[in-house]
Amino acid sequence: MQSKLSDIELIQDTLNGDQSAYADLVKRHQRLVFTLAMRFVKNREDAEEVAQDCFVKAYRSLHSFQQQSKFSTWLYTIVYTTAMTLLRKKRVDTSSIDDESTYVQIENRTYGMDEHSAEGRSRSFYLNKAIDELMPDDATVITLFYKGEQSLEEISKVMGIEPNTVKVKLFRARQRLKQNLERSLGNEVNELI
Amino acid sequence: MSTIEEKLWDYIDGNCTPQEADAVKMLIETDEVYRKKYNELQVLNSAIVGMEEDEPSMAFTYNVMECIRAEEASVPLKARVDRRIIWGISLFFILTIAVMLVYALSTIKLSAPGKLTDYTKVPVSQLNGLFTGPIGKGFLFFDMVMGLFVMDKVLRRRGMSKG
Repeated sequence: MQSKLSDIELIQDTLNGDQSAYADLVKRHQRLVFTLAMRFVKNREDAEEVAQDCFVKAYRSLHSFQQQSKFSTWLYTIVYTTAMTLLRKKRVDTSSIDDESTYVQIENRTYGMDEHSAEGRSRSFYLNKAIDELMPDDATVITLFYKGEQSLEEISKVMGIEPNTVKVKLFRARQRLKQNLERSLGNEVNELI
Repeated sequence: MSTIEEKLWDYIDGNCTPQEADAVKMLIETDEVYRKKYNELQVLNSAIVGMEEDEPSMAFTYNVMECIRAEEASVPLKARVDRRIIWGISLFFILTIAVMLVYALSTIKLSAPGKLTDYTKVPVSQLNGLFTGPIGKGFLFFDMVMGLFVMDKVLRRRGMSKG
């Protein structure tokens, strides 16, 4: 069972030496941190490693959290920076990820269900698939806006860009998402969503 | 940006001023193009809102906490000893040196006859007795207790991190 204490109370308890309070914070935010990591690395094992690394980094710098923003905004900034650094490192080894047309290679992503089964054709499956085909920045904006409950201003802090740029990115990301859904589902897109 | 779509997304996201929202609402009610587009975007919006997040493995929290515990256990001794203990020991030595210095200076016989050429012969012989007497023994005993206290704290932490 997750703690009913607020993030700030859990942070105070953690800073006072209560490690179980931090475990509660991890439980509370792990799904979105992991989802964000998945937007960048497209592989469950690597995403777990990135997410784990982010929580350890956050623990190490918890004393420097000034409470001027939400804890989640601060945490997602760490996730975004860590994932981008990892992506830049990978870019040195492999071909450029900037080429959007080549960024549709999805490595062994599993959804735990057969794509052609009734469950496999669920809304979530196709939406996740369509989001995976987006550029990491577009996927991040959509994930933070819809699942992370972050405002345009908060997303701009996470990504280090202007709120207006976030707005434009969100608009384009939704357009591309729709195109991806139409491409993979054809006329069934309206039935599914 | 497509102006219709942009206006509609602003309306759906709640990023419009009340006046703009009223204008868009009116357009949706009266204009077929707006209404069709609005319904289309609203369906997509609801689908994204209802989308499920990915879930990490069951052991994720445990792994994170293990990683933190392992990292804390490997912190060097210098960083693990409480700073207050170090400051306490430093303060003790500074005070001891200051007291001894004041005591020594106060006992120097500046009015001694003759020219002072050998500074080692300044009559501060009273201090010699301090290191062999009960004060010296007390000082060494205090040091030993402090040392044992620090060692106990370090061993306890090491035991906790292994356990």
